Amino acid sequence: MSKIIEIKDYSWKYINTRNPAIHDINLEIEEGSFIGVIGPNGAGKTTLAYSINGLIPGQYNGVKKGTVNVFGKEVEAYDTGSLQKLVGVVFSDPEAQFTAMTVEDELVFGLENIGLNLAEIQKRLDWVVELTELEPLLEKPPYEISGGQKQRVALAAVLAMMPKILILDEPTSMLDPVSRSRIFKVLARLKEEQNNTVIVIEHSLENLVPLADRMVLISEGTVALDDNTRDFFQKGDLLLDAGIYPPGVIRFFHELHRKGEYSGDYPLTVKGGAKQLRVMKGVRDKDQ
Amino acid sequence: MVEEQKSEMTAEEIWTVEEGERRSVGVIHIVITALLIGIGFVVGAFGSISFPLGFGVNFFWTGIAVQQIGAVWFGGWGVIAGAIFPFFSNAIAGTPFYVSLAYIPANAIQAFLPAWVFRRFKLDPRLKSGRDYLYLFLAMIVSSILGALWSVLVVLRSFDLLTTDSIPLFIWGWFGGNVVAGLVFNFILLKALSAVVIRTTAFVKKWWA
Amino acid sequence: MNKTLLGYVPNESPIYAVHPFVKLYFMLIVSLFPMFVSAPEWNIALMLVIILFMWISKVNMETLKIYIPVAVSMGTIIFISYTVLGGTHPEFELLARFAGINFYWERIRDALVVYFRILPMIFTMVFFLNTSRERDVIVAMRSIKMPFVVTYVFAMALRAAGMVLEDFQIVRQAEKARGYDPAGKSLPYKIRQYVMYMVPLFALSLRRSEDFTNALVARGYAFTGDAARVKRADYILTHYSYKYFDYIFIALISLSFIALLVLRYGFGYFVMADSWLLRLLHGWLS
Repeated sequence: MSKIIEIKDYSWKYINTRNPAIHDINLEIEEGSFIGVIGPNGAGKTTLAYSINGLIPGQYNGVKKGTVNVFGKEVEAYDTGSLQKLVGVVFSDPEAQFTAMTVEDELVFGLENIGLNLAEIQKRLDWVVELTELEPLLEKPPYEISGGQKQRVALAAVLAMMPKILILDEPTSMLDPVSRSRIFKVLARLKEEQNNTVIVIEHSLENLVPLADRMVLISEGTVALDDNTRDFFQKGDLLLDAGIYPPGVIRFFHELHRKGEYSGDYPLTVKGGAKQLRVMKGVRDKDQ
Repeated sequence: MVEEQKSEMTAEEIWTVEEGERRSVGVIHIVITALLIGIGFVVGAFGSISFPLGFGVNFFWTGIAVQQIGAVWFGGWGVIAGAIFPFFSNAIAGTPFYVSLAYIPANAIQAFLPAWVFRRFKLDPRLKSGRDYLYLFLAMIVSSILGALWSVLVVLRSFDLLTTDSIPLFIWGWFGGNVVAGLVFNFILLKALSAVVIRTTAFVKKWWA
Repeated sequence: MNKTLLGYVPNESPIYAVHPFVKLYFMLIVSLFPMFVSAPEWNIALMLVIILFMWISKVNMETLKIYIPVAVSMGTIIFISYTVLGGTHPEFELLARFAGINFYWERIRDALVVYFRILPMIFTMVFFLNTSRERDVIVAMRSIKMPFVVTYVFAMALRAAGMVLEDFQIVRQAEKARGYDPAGKSLPYKIRQYVMYMVPLFALSLRRSEDFTNALVARGYAFTGDAARVKRADYILTHYSYKYFDYIFIALISLSFIALLVLRYGFGYFVMADSWLLRLLHGWLS
């Protein structure tokens, strides 16, 4: 698969700060992959996300070193508005993303910005409304819907633009567990039906881990760990030292490993964990 | 991109575009204009409803702070917002449409003059010296006089809303309502927030970027 | 119920059938009518017609109560301006003299004329604000081909105003939770308190500007460059179409205005001299 994001020796220092927010970043992302980016608060995850979609350095003043290439072209080389057709971003605060009078207007806003005609707008609107189950909310103004609904709208508004790369910056941080699960259901469906490259920055790993092909740990402004999901979570001690708490099932098997009770790959889901326990029980029964 | 700025800028540096510094009009300026109109709408309507003299003239017009400070910080965008938002706040407070529309030049000059004075004389928006305070005060006085003259002599007389004999009351009302409210709010807002605003990408050094 | 700029109007209100441009046109043109009418009874009649329209549109008439203090204070100001501050005019008919103040018939007459000019202008604006949703105003502006950036700034400003009001409530609630209650405090104290609200409200709005900007840029919006020159499809307009009665309303409003001008300047109607109300009042007072 081709590499659509290539970041080489990249660092960014915001103006009036002493140290770079991120430094020595080397990252390559292949088309169609689902990447989870995790790290403690202030590690530089959002800065990295903004660097990929051109908000940095477009909207921020600072000092940049290295290169960030998207589809083979430096982000600064894209004309105003053209990179955003390729890279969509969903931000963490649903309140700050809503700029229109109604949900429907919000979904359509981006499509008008990229110059689509009415027929194409209608087609995409119908598709994204069905995907995100927003039909009952279309006529509602932003202040009449819940936080979870707003975030679904924000996601739908970006999806409607059909970006090749979708970045979600802590999309569920302000949501309750049910709303969080709904967002990830949409992402799961997206992964199944489309070939988008998805980068999700999250703290809630329970929902992210089953979907992610690859995980990246950002710590103290740099990439501390970058591996496929299964191998990533094998490094339990490193993750815990970095302040990352993997999903419960992974922590359980990591504890078993530390006590010498388990030596295999850590299952990533509860279902996988139950299966592994049945296997372990089967082995024990046989031994007895 | 801009190289790291010194931690404490002088007034001259605040308004000077450095060599190699690229500044351009962007979406942030549209957003700032809209936000200023929104803040001014609420704050101005409060003043218009709480302390009315009549026809949008107020004894204590709180909107003056948004009008003048917005223009000092954001240049032409603040002037546009300052000219437009009273139209909306007056409308909500019961001023007729065409009267509100006719006030626009008065509001524009009230926003423009302090912004011009700061840029022309390289004053420090953080109000570091007596000169900064004095020039701001003078700008407030002159702009409110001009605003009062336009509003009362041109607008209110044109619509026959006043007699010639009552003109002085309304001129004093407009002038006093702006200057008193300005004295209360302008200095505090500049002192409290300028240090933060001048470091943002929204801050306007020239007139548009 | 649908939320309008000033309140709520039921979903079944007939006003929603009218194209937003017609409502804007009504407000812009009918606001001019009183400027050409001196006889108060005609302006009072116009005011009653507008109130009737509000009632037909199922506007909550309670919102008019908000404007009673405005109407009273404005009337008082006009009256004082024309009488107490009206000066000495021996050429006018003196009706009474009280506490050194001359009350002339011409001044009272002029005050009434002005007052009843302003009232229907205010009512026209109130009718527009009460029957227009935020989206309606945007559609009306787009219908007259106003540049998108202008309509969008307006829409964002309305959003911002709503957010500032919410922030204001949150700050006040936080203060109350800390046991602070401004009730009964002096005016200077309240003004100082107001200053303390302004600083955080400004700060919040400035921080919000960055978030809004990122959201707009992320959605491909640009103010400069080729992206800004993209032809927009104006999807919002597809929900609104002109019906036959919209054209009838526009024609009626336009013809009424033309008729008013012809009657006023061609035949001398609507002048003070022909006002039976003023004649009646003059009879009572003199």
